Amino acid sequence: MTLLAKDTIGVPPDDILTVKNVAVSLTKGGRTMVSGVSFGVRRGELFGIVGESGSGKTLFTLSLFGLHGETEISAGEITFDDKTLFEDGKRRRLGRILGCRIGFIPQDPYSSLNPSMRVGRQITEAIYLARGTPPNSRQCRDEAVALLAEVGIPEPETAFRQYPDQFSGGMRQRIVIAIALSQDPALLIADEPTTALDAFTQRRIIDLIVERSRRRNLSVILISHNLELLRQSVDHIAVLYSGQLMNIFETADLGRNPLHPYTEALFECIPSVNKTLTDIRSIPGEPAGAGFGLTGCAFADRCAYVQDICRTARLPENTGRADSFSACLLGKGVRT
Amino acid sequence: MTDTQPMVALRGITKTFAKRALVSNRAFGLRDINLDVYRGEVVGLLGESGSGKSTLANIITRLTSFSQGTYMFKGRDVRTLQRSEQLAFKSDVQIVFQDPYGSLNPRARICNIVGEGLAIHQSHLDATARKERVGSLIQEVGLGADCLDRYPHEFSGGQRQRIAIARAMAVEPDLLVCDEPLSSLDVSIQAQVLKLFARLIRERDLTMVFISHDINVARLLCDRVYIMLDGRIIEHGTAAEVLNNPQQKYTADLIEALY
Amino acid sequence: MTARAEILGYPKNAVEKMALIIAAVIMLIAIFGGFLAPHDPLLIDFRSKLEAPSWEHLMGKDGSGRDVLSRLLTGAQLTILSTFAVIAVVLVIGCSIGILSTFLGGWADNLLMRIADIWLGFPPLILALGFAAALGASLEAAIWALIFSWWPNYARLSRMITADILSQKYIASASALGVPTWRKVVFYIIPNAFDVLIIQLTLDISAVMLAISGLSFIGVGAQIPAPEWGAMIADGRNFVNTAWWVVAYPGLAIFVTALSFNIIGDMLRRELDPTLRRNT
Repeated sequence: MTLLAKDTIGVPPDDILTVKNVAVSLTKGGRTMVSGVSFGVRRGELFGIVGESGSGKTLFTLSLFGLHGETEISAGEITFDDKTLFEDGKRRRLGRILGCRIGFIPQDPYSSLNPSMRVGRQITEAIYLARGTPPNSRQCRDEAVALLAEVGIPEPETAFRQYPDQFSGGMRQRIVIAIALSQDPALLIADEPTTALDAFTQRRIIDLIVERSRRRNLSVILISHNLELLRQSVDHIAVLYSGQLMNIFETADLGRNPLHPYTEALFECIPSVNKTLTDIRSIPGEPAGAGFGLTGCAFADRCAYVQDICRTARLPENTGRADSFSACLLGKGVRT
Repeated sequence: MTDTQPMVALRGITKTFAKRALVSNRAFGLRDINLDVYRGEVVGLLGESGSGKSTLANIITRLTSFSQGTYMFKGRDVRTLQRSEQLAFKSDVQIVFQDPYGSLNPRARICNIVGEGLAIHQSHLDATARKERVGSLIQEVGLGADCLDRYPHEFSGGQRQRIAIARAMAVEPDLLVCDEPLSSLDVSIQAQVLKLFARLIRERDLTMVFISHDINVARLLCDRVYIMLDGRIIEHGTAAEVLNNPQQKYTADLIEALY
Repeated sequence: MTARAEILGYPKNAVEKMALIIAAVIMLIAIFGGFLAPHDPLLIDFRSKLEAPSWEHLMGKDGSGRDVLSRLLTGAQLTILSTFAVIAVVLVIGCSIGILSTFLGGWADNLLMRIADIWLGFPPLILALGFAAALGASLEAAIWALIFSWWPNYARLSRMITADILSQKYIASASALGVPTWRKVVFYIIPNAFDVLIIQLTLDISAVMLAISGLSFIGVGAQIPAPEWGAMIADGRNFVNTAWWVVAYPGLAIFVTALSFNIIGDMLRRELDPTLRRNT
């Protein structure tokens, strides 16, 4: 892996991940599913990616690291932890990045743990793969137990010896988080980690992820369809729609951040505490499928502000790696 | 039945499952449920998964039986209903399910899916009249007449849910039970279908039992709510009372946990 | 897309297209074979026995001087139609029992399925011998034997499919509407079971055909002079080295037919299975 001169792609030094004009296509058939996405995730920050079905949010994020079986990066540059992952049409070797520098929490806690291996062993194996500590050693075992405690599993010594099916969905997700943390990653990718869980557990798991991130200075990419959840949990949010990047904004002070019409419309859809029925404004039509391309805005047909230019012009891209970006061709939501 | 008498009155409803319980270690699906639904109101059943909301929905629609207690519908004990009255019951109470992908027969056209209830309960209608009814229902739920000859797989989740609603409304039920109808839909579509429900409630003076785990949605539609936990009702009252001023800690926690 | 256009799109390579064509041709021969035969398939002429293939007799003559080609064409009827007869009966009986069993539920369901399980343990060959002993060795005996031993497959398969369908929410919706049971079976269960059944059916066509030919070959099925393909092979057994055409052509016919239906079955499985999950 080459240490690339920072000037070449203008990577800010405190970014753990920088993507620039990245496009993702299907390996079979070459159809472009996501295009023109640029953003940066700082070290230690929580970054949310939100989208509805067809937005390509999961497909995109997994493809960045080659975790999606059916896709490939077809354009752009990806830099992770100062190392180039993809550039000039070629993927550099990922090597041991995956296991050790990136942790992954998939959506379904019920199928992401090996049902025939004890929980403790699944953690010690991960530690061994990351650091070479012999999995049966006292040290490894102690680390694993400590991790179980860290993620909030009650009676971690007992849990160490138990099998996944002895735990509830929420507990299993915590175990998955423990496994991810065990390798001391620089970046954690959580792909809708709480969709299958009830409201209480959801709140607790998200809180756990946020808190661990702060404590360990761990960067997190949190993928969700729940905009409100992200707004309350992460630092920045990227909004995807039909494979296009619509918006990036900071959550800290929402009023200060102009938003893309789609983001605005999404916020208006959500029934939150103080709204009445008339306050809820639905978006007409259906979410477009992934792979809209870069000509014209995918949201045009459903947008309240639509004009002719929205269907013909090329969508702007966040080449300046701004923290606040709107892809609106009419200039709505762009910070002046 | 006068308006002071509830349309649905459940007293002491209990349901036990067979020895090989599907739910871990729980032989009781429901315990001692007391619930009323008055004509014209929207009642919410709120709780987490496993709380028994769906089982209760199935009991109200008589898709499943109960072990103990009484269920009075429009003043009659449902267990005393004669054969023909049982069929009439089915046109009085209808249900919309959570999963838009599994609730439509993949091998049937939309016109037949929506019209089947009419064929059974309003058999005096001939094919033309039925087709007209189906057409107007489809439009009422916001879809075009061109969808009638197509098959479910050609439609998105939100559209399928609308079709399911049209199917339920076709027989002009007195009571519509909705079992988490929005949960499987995209956010922008949830708002659409929510508004559709609101419109139907308003225009048809619909009585509804609305099941959800999302308190915020319940707040918008429901007049009264029941909070369920582990097969019991732990709190109930008007939506404003319960959701703004919960008496039970569980309810308060539930409200607070939501985003 | 219309059903026909969809089906025409199924074959993805030359082999599959070939298989479809061959199967279609064979079906046509099975229906019209008798008319296509250039000679009388039963005409015996010992003077010209074991004659090599010639322009007059494209596939030569067998040990009794009968024209092999004519026998092949006429025999198609016996082999193919008896295969379909078995499949049809087994399908109707097996599925009726399977669907009924699912609706009965409880101990009746259990009982019927356990009977089917045990029945499956019966070796078809023994049954065939039994039928042959009772009815006299003949094609009918072979057909009965196969029907008897094959129905449990469809009983179990249809029960599994029906149970799966009944657990779907669109069945619950139908119940809520008051749809009567017969309508559920006709409009909900059968159309949705069709895909899985057709795959199994097609694969079974080749299996049953091999079984029928096999039984005829060993002597408990069709008997000579009936031109059933398996029987023809048995008849020519002694001449494999000298007059290979007597055995080779019927053998080839069985092989090609069975293989074609097998390929079609695999093609259907590939095409239809994903769409079974079309819902998500």
